[in-house]
Amino acid sequence: MNLFPHIPSYLGTYGSLIQQQLTMALSSVLFGLIVAVPLALLCVRYPRIYPPVVATLTVIYSLPSIALFVLLVPSTGLTQTTVIIPLAFYSLAALVPNIVDGVRGIPEDVRLAAVAMGYTGARRLVSVDLPLAVPPIMAGLRVATVGNISMVSVGTVIGVGAFGALFTAAAQLNRSDLAVTGIICIVALALICDLLLVITQRLLTPWNQRRSR
Amino acid sequence: MISFQQVGKTYPDGTVAVAATDLTADSGRITVLVGPSGSGKTTLLRMVNRMIDPTSGSILIDGVDVKSKPAPELRRGIGYVIQNAGLFPHRTVLANIMTVPRLLGWSKERAREKSMELLLTVGLEAEHAQRYPYQLSGGQQQRVGVARALVADPPVLLMDEPFSAVDPVVRKDLQTELLRLQSELEKTILFVTHDIDEAILLGDKVAVLNTGGVLEQFDSPSELLAKPKNEFVEGFLGVDRGVRRLSFFSSGAVPLRPEPVVAIDTPAQEVLARRSAQPWLLVVDTERKPVGWLLADHVPADGDLGKVAAGDLVSYGHTFTVEAESLRAALDSAVLSPSSRAVGVDAHGAVVGVASVEELVPAIRAAQDGSSPESSR
Repeated sequence: MNLFPHIPSYLGTYGSLIQQQLTMALSSVLFGLIVAVPLALLCVRYPRIYPPVVATLTVIYSLPSIALFVLLVPSTGLTQTTVIIPLAFYSLAALVPNIVDGVRGIPEDVRLAAVAMGYTGARRLVSVDLPLAVPPIMAGLRVATVGNISMVSVGTVIGVGAFGALFTAAAQLNRSDLAVTGIICIVALALICDLLLVITQRLLTPWNQRRSR
Repeated sequence: MISFQQVGKTYPDGTVAVAATDLTADSGRITVLVGPSGSGKTTLLRMVNRMIDPTSGSILIDGVDVKSKPAPELRRGIGYVIQNAGLFPHRTVLANIMTVPRLLGWSKERAREKSMELLLTVGLEAEHAQRYPYQLSGGQQQRVGVARALVADPPVLLMDEPFSAVDPVVRKDLQTELLRLQSELEKTILFVTHDIDEAILLGDKVAVLNTGGVLEQFDSPSELLAKPKNEFVEGFLGVDRGVRRLSFFSSGAVPLRPEPVVAIDTPAQEVLARRSAQPWLLVVDTERKPVGWLLADHVPADGDLGKVAAGDLVSYGHTFTVEAESLRAALDSAVLSPSSRAVGVDAHGAVVGVASVEELVPAIRAAQDGSSPESSR
């Protein structure tokens, strides 16, 4: 069996499918991160809002993506945006708790030292708190990225599923080889992105002793 | 000079952390706050750089109220050393030391140059500069902590149990190093510890605090050991305060006798003459370095020290350096010696003379009766 068979031309090429898959998955994670950082910092600053925030994110995460796509179509149409918005919300469920744990997990003596050195709040956040929270933030990013790369394919129900289109075509054309190819491509993309994130983290945190051993 | 004026801290639930306290930490001196946990010593310290605000009273540094400028600005002008060093794990050693200069707006070049200098000052090597904190031992990390606190040359240094978390050998090194640094830098140091021995070793003055932030006594270490004001202070000082106080007196007053000392090449006649007068002879080599004690009975009949059986020479234990070391070191030398005699040596290790425990007593008596020691440490 040919693992990478010729794809019917109306579906696009391997290149265009990879591009679509990554555009939707990565931009949703990016938007998620942009929302997650301030939201998580608010939760650290006001611990009382953290439980309701987590509960809300969990509820959102439990909503079926198909339902959300359908709900969004009237306003955003049959576009990639319709796929990106729900996935961005899903990624919050992985990102926010990791950022909160990361910032909270900064050793007490490091925090005290930063205050005693004369850091102001904002500068301490940027120079000390966030850099030290990079490992847990990266862990959250890895979960969100891999999850979203997979979930993008559900977009095929509104016609923008990238490799997801192969699954629809497999059913319609009775060609299971297309489904296998879709799975292989999605898993490969997920693994490659995960690896790139691991490498990025190593470059960002040369000070992290757990990885240097 | 740091003055605490009627400084108190009461928490909203009514817990008193610090009872109204008056205390002055002299400029260029080490003032130690010592007490059990819950005695408010760390609270007092952290009030100086406003990490905790007092509920009553005021704190002045060289006459200026600490509240007169914004807290972050105040803190950049005060060195702070914390237990476990509290280094920033994501920064190299050099970048850690550069923290305060950068906050003060120094140029990178100036900050780097000064930080490199401090790295060497605290006894680390240039090669440590680019390491990360996890690559250093606990003792090295704390040296970096001290460098980071000192780099912007603040007049005041706050030290919050800085050496509590390192092992005793390293702690001893760090304490010695701090005293060496202080003799050069003459900072106004406020030092918190729960270890009374550390307080006595480091402090020019020691404030003993009791539970609830009550200042029980504020005196020089020698005064504290000689005249504890109450049972709490006496109990806190421990059982052997009399012996410990001897470390504040020079061993110069010890009467050392040269008669029991015989060199390996001393003529036989002379050796035999000495033997009859001394129960123990200390054999020294041609440079007067000690070799061992010899019981008079074991001196060969012909007085030839070359014939002494190796097993008859008894280890001389510890020696003490006359003048440079304290009466306590002399007493220790005598107690540890099998002959019950202390061996005094000069700066080159050559024997000056010996003194028995009994012969040490008058010097010890004089020290305990005298009101103040002749040497401060």
